[in-house]
Amino acid sequence: MKPGKIPSARISQLLFLLLFLVLFIQTEYRGSDRIAIAVNSFFRADPLVGLSYFLAEKSYLVLLLPALLLALATLVLGRFFCGWICPLGTILDLVTGKIRKTAPLKFLQGRVKYWLLFPLLFAALFNVNLAGLLDPIAILVRALTFSFYPLFGDTVRQGWVGLYRVLGEGRDVLSPGYGFLRDHLLPFRETFYPLAFLSFSLFLFIVFLERYETRLWCRRLCPLGTLLGLLARFSPIRRSPATLCPDCGDCRSTCPTSFDQDLLQQEECLRCMSCRLKCRFGRVSFEFRGFRDRTPYLPERRVLLGSLVAGFFLARLFRFRYPSAQAAVLRPPGVRDEDDFLKKCVRCGECMKVCLRSVLYPAVFQAGVEGLYTPVVVPRLGYCEYNCTLCGQVCPTGAIPDLPVEVKKREVIGKAVLDRNHCLPLAKGINCIVCEEHCPIPRKAIRSEEVQSVDASGRPFILRKPYVVDDLCNGCGICEFVCPLEGKSGIEVFAVKDRTPLSTADPEGSSPY
Amino acid sequence: MDRRQFLKLLGLTPLFSNLLLREALAADKSLVAIAEDRDYSQATIKALNAIGGMRRFVKPGNVVVVKPNIGWDRSPAQAANTHPLVVRAVVSEALRAGARKVKVFDRPCNDPRRCYVNSGIEAALRGMKGVDLKHIEEERFKPVRLNGRTLRDWELYDEALSADVFINVPVAKHHGLTGLTLGLKNIMGVMGGNRGSVHRHIDSALADINAVLKSHLTVVDATRILTAHGPQGGDPRDVKVLNKVIASSDIVAADAVATTLFGLKPEAISTTVAAYRRGLGEMKMAGIRILRV
Repeated sequence: MKPGKIPSARISQLLFLLLFLVLFIQTEYRGSDRIAIAVNSFFRADPLVGLSYFLAEKSYLVLLLPALLLALATLVLGRFFCGWICPLGTILDLVTGKIRKTAPLKFLQGRVKYWLLFPLLFAALFNVNLAGLLDPIAILVRALTFSFYPLFGDTVRQGWVGLYRVLGEGRDVLSPGYGFLRDHLLPFRETFYPLAFLSFSLFLFIVFLERYETRLWCRRLCPLGTLLGLLARFSPIRRSPATLCPDCGDCRSTCPTSFDQDLLQQEECLRCMSCRLKCRFGRVSFEFRGFRDRTPYLPERRVLLGSLVAGFFLARLFRFRYPSAQAAVLRPPGVRDEDDFLKKCVRCGECMKVCLRSVLYPAVFQAGVEGLYTPVVVPRLGYCEYNCTLCGQVCPTGAIPDLPVEVKKREVIGKAVLDRNHCLPLAKGINCIVCEEHCPIPRKAIRSEEVQSVDASGRPFILRKPYVVDDLCNGCGICEFVCPLEGKSGIEVFAVKDRTPLSTADPEGSSPY
Repeated sequence: MDRRQFLKLLGLTPLFSNLLLREALAADKSLVAIAEDRDYSQATIKALNAIGGMRRFVKPGNVVVVKPNIGWDRSPAQAANTHPLVVRAVVSEALRAGARKVKVFDRPCNDPRRCYVNSGIEAALRGMKGVDLKHIEEERFKPVRLNGRTLRDWELYDEALSADVFINVPVAKHHGLTGLTLGLKNIMGVMGGNRGSVHRHIDSALADINAVLKSHLTVVDATRILTAHGPQGGDPRDVKVLNKVIASSDIVAADAVATTLFGLKPEAISTTVAAYRRGLGEMKMAGIRILRV
């Protein structure tokens, strides 16, 4: 290889990383009701997401067809995804040169990776889809969504606010530039998320592992990489020579993954082609060898059985939920069944990234350990915008269904309940009705009755007392969000089991929506 | 007059001052124009011209704030926001009168981006030179001493305060608490903080704000009005098309006249009554000269 020439694999990696970041930023409302393309494309092409969905749901989803195609391509080409596409792998490749290496960690070699992959898959089989917790793309999207992007947005925003403190309205001279940033790069609203630190730490931990070996995460832990590695064993494309040459051995240091042993590990070869490009003698080639000398791998029985048991326990032992927390587990619009949701949700964080009014947050413990990172609606912090369907559009697995707006408006998230001890008119006899004003249902799910009352100084006045019409309430939560009381709201949305969509029939005539 | 008498007189003066003032100005009736036209731009321009034209308010080089109602993620046909053509006409008239800059903004209740897009106002103003459709930025709310009856102080938007001309362009619609929402209530869009909390004494609170932040010109969009389930609406059956635009330099008079379009008396709207009692404008039909064009 000529010095200074950039290998094709690196160019591809950088392009895909760029694509990933662009799609990430595009996963936001930018003036159109539909998002044409979003970062969910990466998940739809993710075989780990595809397989765990298949195992959990026991059915096939057309949306995840790209994942199947990628799996088939891996069967032929090997783990090219890891060396050419995976944005997390690219980031590791970019930073690893800056990290001084110490001795490899012995305990991570061997079967640890199977002990990560298989329990996840078996847990999916037992109806809890945990794959996203350790999926590399999900780890990256969550680190970006919950930590880096809000941090970035907030920092720029604070700088902009700081300018105002100095320049006052004179800052407007710069506003076209800031407007461009805000419209195309920044989050519209600065939102802080729970689990931001955990998401950040997990990402940083993976980078930190680079000090032991290059691509340690990819080789030794990553469940997606492990899955692809299993498929790659069948690949008819083989490196020649298969072993280190006795007279050189440079490949040992060139190869990012496999050549710390003498024999190329087919399931670890990332197809980065570094060895071929850097070989002084031009000996290395990758050749089509046919499917004859394949070395399929079936994990040992104890790994499989152990994982089966582990998966079972993973899926079943963490089901406990406190009732009070459970009452606050409101799922995004269109999610009607909690069990089904846990099978489909990959916890990638996209819905939370895209949510227009920042009402979706990753569950910490509300939904039990099994629900970690799944999205929950927190109405005191935002509300579900009546005409918005973005979360369903970006969900890679359809855990949140992509519904037409007229249908989505009728989907029930929960039901609003007035608190007689807090609500201003009900508790203190003071007029308010902000909730009724904001209720987006055209026929109003919150209404008020007028009653004659007297104020504190004895003067008579007309008090409007709010009440909720359950049959019209879709639980969007705007009432709870806008309630002017400080702290606890006078009206709150609670989870309901029966999430049958609101009826289209109007008791007062034609359609109420 | 001895000191005692003087103090008595001084103490009694506020009781009568409004009345005295109004008597003194009785000859000068509040002028309100109602224009009717299926072309909403034309209706707006006709209404403006009837009260002396935009040049009466906007001088060359002025910075003008146009404050429509862009509060909700609703389409123009749903009558929850000011009609985009009315906004566009007011803005272009201001530019024609020589405004250096016209700023348009609101502090919406729904997502600001969706409101600006779905109201049609973003599209209507796109490409106009010297016009800024802006999103509210929290840091720009300034605490302002109001010394009002209900609000001692409140945060108001800096650009609304510093504008040379403040043009209030509400849509006429039903409101659950105040009966109707018109110009006086539209001013809530430049209020910061926890706006919902003023609902407990909303009529008096709005008078407090309007007493400090004066609308130099009020243009009420009654091209179509929302007659029930306001302020958001959503049901086409609640919308009534009137093709009317009202303009006045007296915000109370504009609101009062707009109220009559709903078949209501101005006295029925407590917001209007409170503002009238504060001397912010004329409410009685006897004191208003209506020009129909």
